[in-house]
Amino acid sequence: MAQRIMVVEDDQPILELMEILLRRLGYEPVLIMNGMEALKEVKKDPPDLILLDIMMTPINGWEMLEKLRGEYGQKALPVLLFTAAPMAQKEMEKLNDPALGILQKPVSFADLRTALEKFLKP
Amino acid sequence: MDRFITISHYRVSLTDLVRALVITFFGISSTLVTALALARNVDTIYPQLFYFPILYASYFYPRRGIYVAGACTVAYEALSYYHSFPNLLGMGYATGQGILFICVGAAVSYFTNKIRTSEARYRSIFEYSPIGIVLFDQNTFAIALANDQFGTMLGYTVEELSTTPFSHLFFNRDEQRQFYVRLGSGEEIIDFETRLATRDREPFWVNLSWSRLGGNLVSCSVIDVNTRTRAQEAAKDHAARYQQVTENSPTGIVIIQNMQIIYTNPSFSAFSGYGRDDLIGRDLSAFVYSDDLTEVKGYLKQAETSPQPSGKTEFRFLTKKAEIKRATLFSTPIAQGGKPAVLVNIVDISERERLKDQIEQDNERRRGVISTVAHELRTPLQPIMGYLNLLMQDPKGFGLTEETKQILDRCLQSVDRERQIINQMLEFSVLDSGKTDLDYSTFSMNTLVKDIIDTGGYAMKADITIEIPPDLVFEADQNKIYVVINSMLSNAVNYSKPPRRIKIMYHSSSSDTHHRLAIRDNGVGITGAQLDAIFEPFQLADSEKLNRKYNRIGLSLSIAKKYIQMHGGYISVDSTVSVGSTFTIHIPKIRPKGA
Repeated sequence: MAQRIMVVEDDQPILELMEILLRRLGYEPVLIMNGMEALKEVKKDPPDLILLDIMMTPINGWEMLEKLRGEYGQKALPVLLFTAAPMAQKEMEKLNDPALGILQKPVSFADLRTALEKFLKP
Repeated sequence: MDRFITISHYRVSLTDLVRALVITFFGISSTLVTALALARNVDTIYPQLFYFPILYASYFYPRRGIYVAGACTVAYEALSYYHSFPNLLGMGYATGQGILFICVGAAVSYFTNKIRTSEARYRSIFEYSPIGIVLFDQNTFAIALANDQFGTMLGYTVEELSTTPFSHLFFNRDEQRQFYVRLGSGEEIIDFETRLATRDREPFWVNLSWSRLGGNLVSCSVIDVNTRTRAQEAAKDHAARYQQVTENSPTGIVIIQNMQIIYTNPSFSAFSGYGRDDLIGRDLSAFVYSDDLTEVKGYLKQAETSPQPSGKTEFRFLTKKAEIKRATLFSTPIAQGGKPAVLVNIVDISERERLKDQIEQDNERRRGVISTVAHELRTPLQPIMGYLNLLMQDPKGFGLTEETKQILDRCLQSVDRERQIINQMLEFSVLDSGKTDLDYSTFSMNTLVKDIIDTGGYAMKADITIEIPPDLVFEADQNKIYVVINSMLSNAVNYSKPPRRIKIMYHSSSSDTHHRLAIRDNGVGITGAQLDAIFEPFQLADSEKLNRKYNRIGLSLSIAKKYIQMHGGYISVDSTVSVGSTFTIHIPKIRPKGA
């Protein structure tokens, strides 16, 4: 059964792209446009990995990550920050979270594949 | 003048001697006449004879006159008692006479003494005071009489003055005219201060008072106020200059004594918002922000006692509008009315601080804008890049011809370039904020260079020679040095045509303080005028200087320059147009303090 990758992203064109790329890479995409809904979905049916945009409303990527790791107890669920925000790299390093990675937008197909393979459990 | 003779050590004036003799003569004669009269029972005016010596002595020698009166009384009483005893009436009469002698003597002495004292006072004024006296004719101004003092003041002899009209003695026409006006008023003039001219035509300040005597004569007293007026003028001049400096000073100046403001200039009034009257006499602590009060008091206490001007210190002041203003104080100890005080210069720095804050805020906002813009620019790149990647991933599956593939590849390259430019823009803005720190580590330079060449695929684009000692180790921020060398290799490849030859050389002796790593290419070269511009961020570079063909350098060299500067080093360029360029990175071998 294909591994489920949740994409939390408020930009429609990127969501559409990710759906195609992820399917092509053999994953099952779960597309969600805001953090609160994403958290509900995680509770219901946790994915294998989350691609998480940072600049979103009503809660941003960092807030969602905090809730995910805290309230939702998903400490080991791999999260790849998928962002065009500058300084995200530095912020991420501060968290010192082994299940957390980053993909700077725009990301190439090759880099996406490499990162997913690295963070997903075999 | 009196003449003196010396009688057994006493120096006695002749007048006194003669008077003494007269008194003695009168005294003895009165006694003898009285004795004779009593012996013969002649009842005449004999006791009144004693008034001669008593009055005479009391008049000339008021104090000693009483002794003479006493002596006369004793002589008279002795004779009277001798003859009238035991006739009580006669003795009573004699006693009454004696008392009268003493009373008359005392009264005369008292009044004479009073007259003498006041006379002596007047005489001393005229003899010893520096008052000059001059009598002149009010029509011709001819000097009828002038005393020595007046002559001495102006350096004339009394004879010389007698031939000079008084009006000619004024220093200039103006003063002469004022004199005429005053004299013409016909009133008595008191305290007319003016300048006369000395014999050497120097100005001499005098105070004139005059009144008319009989005829046309005017008696004028001349008081020497030259020294005093000069001193006053000098002091006034000095004070005026001092006042001008402090009153017009752009910095606030206050004088503080016992923590009270005793002087303030307009600048301080403007600074504090209080009028001068509101400030003077008030305790300085009323105007100091409460948190800084203890410090201010300590500072002023110290400033008051220290003999040197005290260095600056910063305080917050409360203005009338309850604003807090920052100011720097400099103080100098001074004496005010003989007591220690402090002259404080107050420089308003709140405006400067505000501007500094404003600039910092503006910069922060600008960086925020750049950050947002970068985010907005990057986001749409993702679908473009993603779809192009997707197509290129499976050209056959998507039915792409070789030509379409080439076109799409070029699109991808452009997208990649745009991504790099945005990244550089962001990196530069972060560098500009000074918020970047170096992450020092020790690494092998050979390994790093090979890694860069492999990752960038430079070996496929150029013939690269590496001359770096295999054991060479750098202590620096490896990631930053990676970016610097990478951008130089990238430029070397981009600004040259095949066959490209790139040489990476290390040249630094063991005694050299710097690592020196040179990257030489055989590219287009850079003209002298463009050398400086290539290191400028593109928004600052002069577009005339920065030829179109260098535009693609973007910010990479500006960032490289900053990175190397953060290490305490620098980049040098040596270039010949059409032959090639050599970029050399110089980094201190020992990590500088604070880096």
